Amino acid sequence: MSLSLDSTQAVLAPIVATREVGEQTWVIDVEIEDITSDFGPGQFAMLSLAENSPTVIARPFSLYERPAPNRFTFLIQKMGKGTAALVDAPIGTMLRCLLPLGNGFDVAAVEQDVVMVAGGVGSAPFLIYAQQRIALGARENTHMFFGGRTQRHLFDHQSFDALGINMHYSTDDGSHGFKGNVIACLATELDKKRISKKSVIVACGPAGLLHAFADFARLRNLNAYLSLETYMGCGFGVCNACPVPTSVDGKFTDWPYAKTCTEGPVFSLADISI
Amino acid sequence: MLSTKIASLDFATPLMTGSGTFGHDPAALRFLNPADLGALVLKTVTPEPRHGNPVPRMAEFEGGIVNAIGLENKGLAYWQDTVAPTLEGLPVPVVANAGGHCADDFVEVVKAFQDMNGVAAIELNLSCPNVQGGILYSTDSIGLAKVVTACREVSDKPMFVKLSPNVTDIRPLAKAAADSGADALTVCNTLIGMLVDWRLRQPVLANGIGGMSGPAVKPVAMHMVSQCAAAVDIPIIASGGAACADDVLEFVVAGATAVQIGTAAFLNPAVISQIASDLRSILAQENLTLADLRGSLKL
Repeated sequence: MSLSLDSTQAVLAPIVATREVGEQTWVIDVEIEDITSDFGPGQFAMLSLAENSPTVIARPFSLYERPAPNRFTFLIQKMGKGTAALVDAPIGTMLRCLLPLGNGFDVAAVEQDVVMVAGGVGSAPFLIYAQQRIALGARENTHMFFGGRTQRHLFDHQSFDALGINMHYSTDDGSHGFKGNVIACLATELDKKRISKKSVIVACGPAGLLHAFADFARLRNLNAYLSLETYMGCGFGVCNACPVPTSVDGKFTDWPYAKTCTEGPVFSLADISI
Repeated sequence: MLSTKIASLDFATPLMTGSGTFGHDPAALRFLNPADLGALVLKTVTPEPRHGNPVPRMAEFEGGIVNAIGLENKGLAYWQDTVAPTLEGLPVPVVANAGGHCADDFVEVVKAFQDMNGVAAIELNLSCPNVQGGILYSTDSIGLAKVVTACREVSDKPMFVKLSPNVTDIRPLAKAAADSGADALTVCNTLIGMLVDWRLRQPVLANGIGGMSGPAVKPVAMHMVSQCAAAVDIPIIASGGAACADDVLEFVVAGATAVQIGTAAFLNPAVISQIASDLRSILAQENLTLADLRGSLKL
């Protein structure tokens, strides 16, 4: 039941651009000349410095954008020495990239309402997902709820604004959009029936947010998906460090855990137990 | 240039994957040129399925990682039906790794491995620090000898015994394994360690303790390889923090015949091919062979 690694490539690629997009957070672009695989929304890459990596394992990052066929953008928040090394690296620094990894979003039908729910850097998989929806002609029924502690935590929101999809911002301090957390904002819109409860709702963000979202979605019987952020040792299915408990009546019936890296990171809420 | 022999097996290079770091099956082989890999050592198989430990199972520190996966595996029956058939005809020899709680567990798994055409050799994981009972066989030479003897009786395939570094003196265990019929020793498994989150006043790993691996354990493994090489006449397969060609040559000088690459493959699954290429260059440049260097440590 795991993803085939047949399309995954281990490549070295230079950083060609970096841009600060908010509190301790950057987007970096890498250029990969010989990429032969599809790399879609919700999938991820393991990134590390090719030389003198300060960490002994790489870090996973969702594909944020693919502005050109050989150019790949990642949203990175400085959390520790691994992420700091990546965002502080000068242009031209070579990265070790293992990609594409994981199973991404199923692109819902054009007529299907899709709602993305992001907390902080949980927005990472949604820019390219929204772009893909727009390319399909589904701009009108693509919604995004983007929450952060403050306006500085609504990373790169200008890029989302530019898409012309239905954006709903929330901040804990009320500095931008709805005052409160992103789930409360979503609840308000559902209650007012401005968002259909038949929408496909996909959430990504810190563990606390995802747990709260899972409870909320179960309570309201929503068609929910989660893109999980879990500690990973390898990203390609060999270390068994990223298990997520599976539900008894989901598609992973043969084992109480699924690997986030190869069986996710996008899961239907019905298939996991968080 | 890099070909290596252990027992009846010829390996293209002295480089092997480390058990638990390259998967339960051959899927990750695609990252490597088969000519660069001596053997594919797979993750431990136990008679019954094991769900593994709670999360967090892994955390990093300066110089390595500590893991407590807990030998998560779907058990021997699943492996026999699903994985074993995929091993036949692979371009590299496969070393299957057996685990368990008692001697009977090991014998059951080894017996099954003996009958699998795709399994070229067997490694006994007598030293996993993350399961209750697993460590006992590697700290008690009498218990270890019993398990190795019992496994030897049911298999004539080359058998490697993986020892624990969590002992005062590894040599009696090395001798016990060699005297009981081991064809080679894997030296060594992870060091027991603990990481603490001082703010939470609790260990970082849900299991509390875990097995430490990565560059920081290399000096410990180096010492033990050197000790074991002097203590027994069977080949030593070094395992502990090797991440580049120089590390491999250091282990060879200390007495290793082969070297497993584990944690380094998490960062770069193609690292073994890189190391093999570097080894060829270095040996050509220095006009040396592995045999020239093996056990040449001047003590």
